Amino acid sequence: MIQIELFLLLSAILFVVGLYGVLTTNRGIVMLMSIEIMLNAGNLNLIAFAAYWGSALGQVFVIFSLAIAAAEVAVGIALLLNVYKVKKTTKIDDMTILRW
Amino acid sequence: MMLEYVWLTPLIPLLCFVIIGFFGNKMPEGGGYVAIFGALVAFVVSLVASYEYVTGDLFAISLPFVQEMNWLTIGTYEINFGVYIDSLSCVMMLFASFISLMIFVYSVGYMGHEEKKRRRYYAEVSLFLTGMMGLVISSNYLEMFVFWEIMGLCSYLLIGFWSFKHGEGDAASQNAASAAKKAFIVTRLGDVCFMAGLFILLNEFHSLDYAIVFAQANIAAVDPTALTVATLLIFAGAVGKSAQFPLHDWLPDAMAGPTTVSALIHAATMVKGGVYLVARSFPIFVQNPDVMILVAFIGGFTAIFAASMALNNMNIKRVLAYSTLSQLGYMFLALGAGGYLMAIGMQTGNNDLIALGALGYVAGVFHMINHAFFKALLFLGSGSVIHSAGTEDMRKMGGLGKKMKITSITMLIGSLSIAGFPLLSGFWSKDLVLETALAPAQHGLGAEWTFTALFIMGIVTAFMTAFYMFRMWFMTFRGKEGEATRHAHGESPKTMTVPLIILAVFAVGSGLGILFGLSNAITESLSCTLGYLHIHTHTGMTIAEDIFTNVWTYVSIVLTLLGICLGWLMYCKKSVDPGRFNKNGESRFYRLLTKRYYFPQIYNAISWKLGYGVAKGVDYMDKEVIDGTVNGLSNAVVGTGDSLSAVQTGNLNNYAAWVYTGVIVLVAIVVAVFIVNGGI
Repeated sequence: MIQIELFLLLSAILFVVGLYGVLTTNRGIVMLMSIEIMLNAGNLNLIAFAAYWGSALGQVFVIFSLAIAAAEVAVGIALLLNVYKVKKTTKIDDMTILRW
Repeated sequence: MMLEYVWLTPLIPLLCFVIIGFFGNKMPEGGGYVAIFGALVAFVVSLVASYEYVTGDLFAISLPFVQEMNWLTIGTYEINFGVYIDSLSCVMMLFASFISLMIFVYSVGYMGHEEKKRRRYYAEVSLFLTGMMGLVISSNYLEMFVFWEIMGLCSYLLIGFWSFKHGEGDAASQNAASAAKKAFIVTRLGDVCFMAGLFILLNEFHSLDYAIVFAQANIAAVDPTALTVATLLIFAGAVGKSAQFPLHDWLPDAMAGPTTVSALIHAATMVKGGVYLVARSFPIFVQNPDVMILVAFIGGFTAIFAASMALNNMNIKRVLAYSTLSQLGYMFLALGAGGYLMAIGMQTGNNDLIALGALGYVAGVFHMINHAFFKALLFLGSGSVIHSAGTEDMRKMGGLGKKMKITSITMLIGSLSIAGFPLLSGFWSKDLVLETALAPAQHGLGAEWTFTALFIMGIVTAFMTAFYMFRMWFMTFRGKEGEATRHAHGESPKTMTVPLIILAVFAVGSGLGILFGLSNAITESLSCTLGYLHIHTHTGMTIAEDIFTNVWTYVSIVLTLLGICLGWLMYCKKSVDPGRFNKNGESRFYRLLTKRYYFPQIYNAISWKLGYGVAKGVDYMDKEVIDGTVNGLSNAVVGTGDSLSAVQTGNLNNYAAWVYTGVIVLVAIVVAVFIVNGGI
């Protein structure tokens, strides 16, 4: 059996990669993708602990989480599409008109 | 039976005020008949109530008729609302309502050409009567103050009745609106003092009821210094209302109003309020002789001071206005001198002095009654003259006597009466006043010099009064026809002349009341509150005896006649040229008089320096301190918001960075706590 620390390490690496993506990119699509990576890092943790404790609870959570992530991406992409229709770009630097 | 319903006397005119105010335009004469009816009812009620009181049991045992209901109770302070009827209230009610009735009847003729404005006029004079009737029957100081202020408001409204018209006044009162404003503000000065006095009284007595404030036991229990301060402040209120020096200058300007209003203010209401206040407050005023001597000197000084300004005035109404000031001074002189004697008598237990003091009180009140009649007559007469001649300038009149027989004769009676011609009403009360001022010196009762000074002021005023009244009468009705006389309409209509005739009868006869028990009746109002002094009342006959056996009475009669003769020589026969005395109007004193001793300028200077200064200070306070605080607060909030809004870049990366920074900080705290505690 693979040690749980390795799962957690992988999950942490994935999360930091996703975080790096969110903080550095200015492209909306890439940002959504980075968020997905972070989300899946979390999912990986849940799976790992579920296996570790021998409980199905964590797996159920992951199923929920995936479903909600799918919905979230749908909303996010829909937003970006609409922004693209108006502004012909998905660069988030340009989306500051509602600021103050 | 009627005594219980005496509260109708202010209520009926108040109802008339409301009715005329709403429906006056739909009524004949703009509601004038309603006002007359109201005054008539008020007069009849006062007459019946007074008769009942004077013939009733309460009067016989020297008690007032009091009816009260609770108005406010604040902690231990009780304020009531009710009526307090004693003989003083009775005489005040009677002459105020009667003269108002005469004036209202007269107004039908005098104000007939005012068209739509008559509604306003009759509504306001009805309210004025409400104020006066309420004032004299109220049972405590606060209630009195309410009616006092109603009168103040009405005087403002009525003096400014012709607000659009530029009067014939001098620079200080160019138009009726500013004259009204002046009257309001100057009397306000007195009212504020009055109110402060009431605060002190309320604080000391925990009530403002006359019955409580005047009770001997209560007076003995309070701090005498506070009482003295309170009486001084209340007297300041009377000075403002009755236009005594130094708050006198609003009254001549008040001539900007219609003549009937002047008659109402001078004879029946308003200025009589101040005298009534002092007479009513006599029991607390006599606690300190110094207050009373101040009252006497203010009165005496105003008498001579105002009379001097009447000497050379060319405006018929202004002469009468100054004579009112002067006669009001007489009343205060009498009340103050009498009060002083009574106060000394109370301290030394001297019954003669107390009796003399009561005589002074009678003199003051009696002069007020007589003055009401002849001053109403004179003002209404001058109104008749103005109505006919269309001017107030006496130089343009002259020779009106032929065209206006009734007016000239009734005015002559009024002038003789005010001048103190023997056996006319003014004579009795004026000589009673002088008698009071003379008594200490003649009976060796001390304070001779003070009283001699008062007496000299009084007797010089008597001479001046005779002179200026007859100067006015001769200039108006005798001599060469002036330009206004040629265009004059002739005699005024019946509604105007009939009141004149009735008032003339009273101006002749009201003084005889003293022979028929009026002095006893008036003294009774003192006995109601100062009964423990066992005031010995002078009967009418002893007063008459005193007057006619006193050599100074004859001196004052001679001076009166001299004054009349001088007026005749100067302005009728023209054998003495007045120009010789005043260098044809160039002498310094003459100019001082026409400038009214520079009092309008002094008032202006004070209001500019003091009033404007205070206003500027308040303005600074408002703009810089209060607004500054508010603006500073809002600026601080806006500034903070502005600087903080820089955080909101709108850039999603920045927001995410902040969120993760927060997460890191939270995690760091959790870890730190974990390490320190060694486990959760």
